[in-house]
Formats: sequence, C-alpha cells, structure tokens
Amino acid sequence: MSHNIKILPGATVCEDCTLEGDITIGGGTVIHPRVTIIAEGGPIIIAEYCLFEEYSTIIHKKSDKQENPPKPLFIGAHNVFEVGCKLESPCGHIGESNVFECRSFVGVDVKIGSGCVIGAACSLNAPQTLADNTVIWGSEHHNREALEKQPSQMLQLDFLSKVMPNYHRLRKPNVHKRQTSRQSQEPIKA
Amino acid sequence: MAYLTQPDYVKYVCSCGQLKPITNLYFCRHCLQIRCAFCICHEVDSHYCANCLENMPSSEARLKKNRCSSCFDCPSCFHTLSTRATLAQPRQSTEQGSGDTKVENKQPKKMYYLSCFNCRWTSRDVGIPDQPVASGGWPERANPYATRVNQLLDYYKAIAQQEKQEKLDRERKKFAIRGKYITLTDKTGLTGAMARNIAGLPSSESSSSAIASFTPSQASEEVEELPEEFYTKELNLNQITSMPQRLASPEWQPTHVSRLHPIAKLLSVKRSQRCRVCDHNLTKPEYNPGSIKFKIELLAFYHVPEVKIISYEPIKPGCTSALLLKLTNPTGHEMQIRLMQPEDIPEPEERVDEPKSIEKSLEKSLNLEKDTSWYETVKRKPILLTECRITIPDVTLTLAQRDDAAEYDDDATHDANDIILWRKSNKLALRLQVVTSGEAQAGAAAGAVLALQYRYRNAVPPAAQPPRDHTLHAALRLHLGPVCG
Repeated sequence: MSHNIKILPGATVCEDCTLEGDITIGGGTVIHPRVTIIAEGGPIIIAEYCLFEEYSTIIHKKSDKQENPPKPLFIGAHNVFEVGCKLESPCGHIGESNVFECRSFVGVDVKIGSGCVIGAACSLNAPQTLADNTVIWGSEHHNREALEKQPSQMLQLDFLSKVMPNYHRLRKPNVHKRQTSRQSQEPIKA
Repeated sequence: MAYLTQPDYVKYVCSCGQLKPITNLYFCRHCLQIRCAFCICHEVDSHYCANCLENMPSSEARLKKNRCSSCFDCPSCFHTLSTRATLAQPRQSTEQGSGDTKVENKQPKKMYYLSCFNCRWTSRDVGIPDQPVASGGWPERANPYATRVNQLLDYYKAIAQQEKQEKLDRERKKFAIRGKYITLTDKTGLTGAMARNIAGLPSSESSSSAIASFTPSQASEEVEELPEEFYTKELNLNQITSMPQRLASPEWQPTHVSRLHPIAKLLSVKRSQRCRVCDHNLTKPEYNPGSIKFKIELLAFYHVPEVKIISYEPIKPGCTSALLLKLTNPTGHEMQIRLMQPEDIPEPEERVDEPKSIEKSLEKSLNLEKDTSWYETVKRKPILLTECRITIPDVTLTLAQRDDAAEYDDDATHDANDIILWRKSNKLALRLQVVTSGEAQAGAAAGAVLALQYRYRNAVPPAAQPPRDHTLHAALRLHLGPVCG
C-alpha cells in the first residue's frame, strides 16, 4: 500500500494519528491526536475546514467489486467528526456540513448528503441514502429534516489551529500549492 | 442492597406489606415502623423549574399552569432547549427598517434563538423570529379554545362554589338553634328554597350567571370528510408530527412539524413525606431548589440494619447450600441482632401503655376522627413463602456503632466462629445454611426469607426523655438466583 499523505497548507494535523494510504487533507482542516484514517480501498480526499476529533475513525474499505482505478472517497467541507465516531466508508461521496456525533457509526453503503447530523451513538448499517439536512438522534434513531444546514465550526477551528501547535507535534504541510497536480507531488514523501 | 442497573437482591418488608430495597424505605422514628412511598403521605413543598432553578409559590405556579416562563422544552424530542446567540447581519436590520436602528447598523447586533442540542431543532425551523434579549420575550401562541376552556373553568368553579354553599347551609341548619319565635316557614314546613321552587323561580342566590349561561357541548354524528389529498398525496413522514409530539402540546396538537412550538418547561416539585399514622415528617427537603440536602431525613438506610449478600452456593433442590451475608449497623449505637424466621415475629400489640400528654390528646381531638380506613385497603400480606429455608442459628450478634473514624483502625476483633466469618467495626459477615426443599423447580427464582430482631435506641424525640431502647423487627427476602437443576 502506498503511503501518500498530502497535507495542504493551513491544515492542522497532529503527528499522533494513524494515516494510511492515499490521503489528501484540505486546508483549514483540524485533525486531533489519535484519529485513524485508513485508505485501503482507494484514496480519501478531505476538503477544507473539516474537524476530526479524538478517536474518530474513517476507513475507506476494500470491496470485492472494486473499480480500477479505485474510486476516491470524497469528504466535503465543514464536516465535523466528533469523539469516537466511525465511518466505514461508503461509496464515494460525503457532502458538506455534516455532523457525526460522538460514537456514531456509519456503515458501508450509506450515502450521506449535506447538512446531515448522525446523533450520538446512532449507528447506520442498512444501505440507505440520507437526504440533505437529515437529523438522526436518540436510541430509537428518530429522524427529522432540519430547515437549514448546521452552523459551521469556524470559530472552533480557528481556535484549535492556534492552540494545537502549542501542545502537540504536528505534521507539516507538504503540498504548497493547491494547483499542483497529484502526480508531481507523489515522489516527495512516502 | 439496591443497585442502579441490577435487580434488587435484598428486599425488606414494609409495614404495609410491600417489598422494597432498603434505599427506597423510610423509618418513622415515632411509630418505629418501616414505611415506604406507597403507605406515606406525599406533600408538595415548593414548585421550581429544574432548568433555571427558579422558585415559585404554588399560587403563582397554578396561575402559570405549572410551567416555567423562561425555560422551554424541545417540541421535537422534549429535551431542554438552549439559547444560542448569533450576530445578525446589519443588512437584516435595515430591512426591518426604522430610523432608530440605522445608527446601530454599523455593528452587528446580537440576536438569540432557541436550539436543541439533542435533535438540533431550532426556533428558526418553524419561523420564530430571533429575539434581541437572551431570555424571555418569546412569542406565545394563543390557545384557539381559550374562551371555551375559560367558560368551562368558570362553570365548574361556580358549581363547586354552589355545592360548598349548600353544604354550609346544611351544616348551619343542623346546628341552628331554634329561636323562641316560630316563623311562618317553620310552621308550614316551607323553606325559602322550596318556596322559590314552587314559585318557579331560580333557586336563590346560589345559582350564578356562569351556570345559567353555560351551554353544554353537543356531540354530533357527522364528521368532516377527509380531504382528498389524504388519499392522493404522497406522505412525507418527516413533515408529520408523532403522537408524543402532538400530545405534548394538547392545546394545539400540531399535525405538521412546521407548526411545532417551544413547550414551556414543566415545573418540578420538592416533596416532603409524612407518616400517615402519626403525622410526623419523614423527609423534608431544604427549601432552596439548588440544594439537595434534607432538613429531616428519616430513611431506613440510616436506622435499620442493612443486609447484603456476599455470596451463596448454587441453590439445588433437596440440598443445603451455604449463604454468606453481611450485616451493617448504620446507627450510632450498639445494636443486638437476632436472626429469626419471619413467621416468628410477634404481632405488634396496641401500644396503650404510652403516657398521653395533654398536647397529644389535644392533637388527637383536633384531628377529628382521623380516617384510618386507607390503611386496611393499602395493607397486604407479603408473600414470604419460599422453597428455601434458612437455618437460623440461636445466637445474639452484637454490632458496634457506626464510627466513621473506625476504618483507620485495623485492630479488628477476631471472634470468628462457625457463624461469624469476620467482623470489622460496624459490619459483620455471617455464614448461614439454606435448606432447599426437594419440590423446588429447577430454573425458578430461588428466594429465602429472614427476619431480624434488633435493639434500636431511639435517641431523639422527645429531648427531655432518656433514650429508650426498643426491640424491633424487620423481615426481608433474599433473591438467590435461579434454582439449579
């Protein structure tokens, strides 16, 4: 497996986290320590201003009917992955401004739109597609539709990106321009 | 012993016959009886909001329909709503457009809305405008049936008033001293009310306008037809409210999520408990809603020896198994305990020997034939028959008083023998034998019963008297798992 982690400038990625495979981390994203992101079934692309809290796990699972070249998992901007949540990545795409609350679980074959909230300890296993602004909460997995997207966590992200360097070793951004194509960056770091 | 998430393995028998864990029981120091929530009198001490801890006198609480005026519950998931602040764009305030706000337009203005952290419902979802102040000022929705409800209230109030008046009249008539002179009505046996009745007039002053003008509601057989769209339109369950959501606001019963409205938070009450037999307080909380302390706290946990199961051998039909129990003396006085079978507990005799002070008899006379019929209906015989029988050793155990400093001493007295396993300050472990009858069904729950006879020193009331020792009894039922095959 190729270890090819691209961190764009402005991202705050702690050293004490497990990143495996082909991962691109967008600017402004904050990754706390003890986060696990494993791209075994294909590359993972994380857009800007996402927040990964401690013990959140993102896995792009290998599947039998894998396309070649493997399809990337794209995680949109402003997603929040709270402490201990797990995303066993589905096919492809996660919208933006979603909140995965503490210890939530999203299984394979779940498509997630934008502005969704997976409540604390909720687990989604069955194949399904969440429409935009769906909110799921409670032990009985009640759901409802929110009127608007969840407010972004910009203040929190700003604060973390300022404070985090004081207390944690960080991985340095290794891609300096967004425009540079992926191929040219590949040999830089392994 | 009671556990939060596990079943109660040891249950005590309350004086009313209910089986409860010791932590749910009270101990009346005046009757010297175990009481439980089922057989005592619960009284409301004060109303308060559990969210903002604001105290409210009961008259005000009634006026506000037992709801807090500043706290709200989520209409979607019933969690408490939180107030969130946002900075409103200046553009918005120009739209609202008044001359005064133009000066403030330069700085963004803080606006507040309600939001639920559980299901992420916000007051914006249903179009409630943001408020410029953090608390209060939320628009209240008028009850569409307010006039009818008030009408009904007035009507029933008037009826209650009338009945009260009639009762008073009757009382007065009973005790009315006949005057010297015989009035005309007395002579003819005609009362004023009767005379009015005969004359076809409405009966005297008691009937008020509220009763006269009241129109009872009519049930009709015709019901509106369902609109066509119920059959044709596709249903979006996300737009429809659930039954609990509708029932949470009975005045409006919104059928559509867009009509949900924050629910004013229901008030909580602080309760005090009173023994129904002697009318003494068993618990009395402190008035301040923020405080969780009690002024009076007569819990069985502080007065009755506690029994815990340490371990036991599996219960088999026709076999004898060992049972290890721990006894704890929670009181500040030495305690003698004897174990016995529950059926050997002597029937409590009427305590007639008690000296009756003037005060007490006065209290009695004030109570005007205290109604004790409730006790007969409440009381029941506990089911204490089990297939397991504990062999009771004929010993008197002495338990030292509770001493919080004792855990630092380690000179444990070693008087261990066949029965006493170990002893440590106010605790002591016992080894007992449980004989199970051969008829016990495998798989059924095994329970054993045990009674304690203990010397209890009543130190507190009344202060002038020297502390008196009493011999009290407590029966309890031990849950010993299933019977093994």
